Amino acid sequence: MHISEGILSAPVLVTGAGLTATAVGYSLKKMEHKEVPKVAILSSVFFVASLIHVPLGPSSVHLILNGIIGLLLGWSAFPAILVALAFQGVLFQIGGITTLGVNTLNMAFPAIICFYLFNRGVRSENNFIALTLAFVCGFLAVLLSGTMVAVALVFTGEPFIQVAKLALIAHLPVMILEGALTVFCIGFLRKVRPEILEI
Amino acid sequence: MKNKLYLILIFTFLTIIMMDVSVFAHKVNVFAYVEGEKIYTESYFNDGKKCIDSKIEVFDNQGNKLLEGLTDKEGKFSLEVPSEDGDLKIVLTASMGHRAEYSISADELRGAVGLIKEEPEEPVSIVSSETSLVDLKEIQSIIEDTLDEKLKPIMREIKKSREDKISPAEIIGGIGYIIGIFGIIAYFLSRKR
Repeated sequence: MHISEGILSAPVLVTGAGLTATAVGYSLKKMEHKEVPKVAILSSVFFVASLIHVPLGPSSVHLILNGIIGLLLGWSAFPAILVALAFQGVLFQIGGITTLGVNTLNMAFPAIICFYLFNRGVRSENNFIALTLAFVCGFLAVLLSGTMVAVALVFTGEPFIQVAKLALIAHLPVMILEGALTVFCIGFLRKVRPEILEI
Repeated sequence: MKNKLYLILIFTFLTIIMMDVSVFAHKVNVFAYVEGEKIYTESYFNDGKKCIDSKIEVFDNQGNKLLEGLTDKEGKFSLEVPSEDGDLKIVLTASMGHRAEYSISADELRGAVGLIKEEPEEPVSIVSSETSLVDLKEIQSIIEDTLDEKLKPIMREIKKSREDKISPAEIIGGIGYIIGIFGIIAYFLSRKR
């Protein structure tokens, strides 16, 4: 999911950086004072989640958690993911500094789409509906991220079919895992602390 | 209640970190070494999975591409040491935007090539007899073989140490930085009001 340095062409990098800068500026302006601790915590969650490998069959995957971050943060997902990615790049050379904009966009934009799609749904009175939507949210966020990575690579000149197939197959286990995790998180929050979801 | 939840979250983080399960990032590595007349490269994701059918490109120090090829089932690829001088850069491009580089210095290359080039000349200057020439050659190849064999574990160690593992200290440090940055954001937001 993290695109390394030196892969993407300059126009893709510049577009990604520009869009990310705009979105981060907008969300910082919109961010409320009392929201900041929540953003900081979820940014750290994102930072750690990508570092931990979950063994799965012959290979292993790492979590992205952008679905749940989108649900809980809305537009603030942009600065949260930007900061976390920046530190992953600087400390562990995952992703990179020049690709920071594109990577942030790839992971934060699906988060915001999920926020608008499922924001009301997961706060539904009906527990079953809420949890089903939570699964779809976690699943869809990773699917969209994978698609955006594929699109970025295609614009740089890789053959479309091959990239799209890889993006789908490589991320299918992650999508299911993330869906399940989102169900768990939303279920937990609904029971233990509904205030976070503003129910 | 509010504080309790945050405490639970922090506690969960710390347990995950302390468990010391393979705390790696998904990243590719490429490692290359010179042995005899060939350069061998090995590529792997740092969860240990080999990069199969990934593109390897070799550049000289002017950035010209010398050759490219695909890694085999074990993530390996080998090439002849090129004739010209200068550093070599080996670039690995794996699927889904993963990329890694490795440089081999000119010294390392020349060491390998030089040995081979001197080989036929040296014996001639010492003794002209046919038999000693063969002997010297044989001895040299035996020494080389043994050295390669003996150096293998060291090579493996070097390779391992290049696999930059992520230490818990760095993770905790990273979390600290993130919280700090949002502290600064909170400060500016509070001044705005």
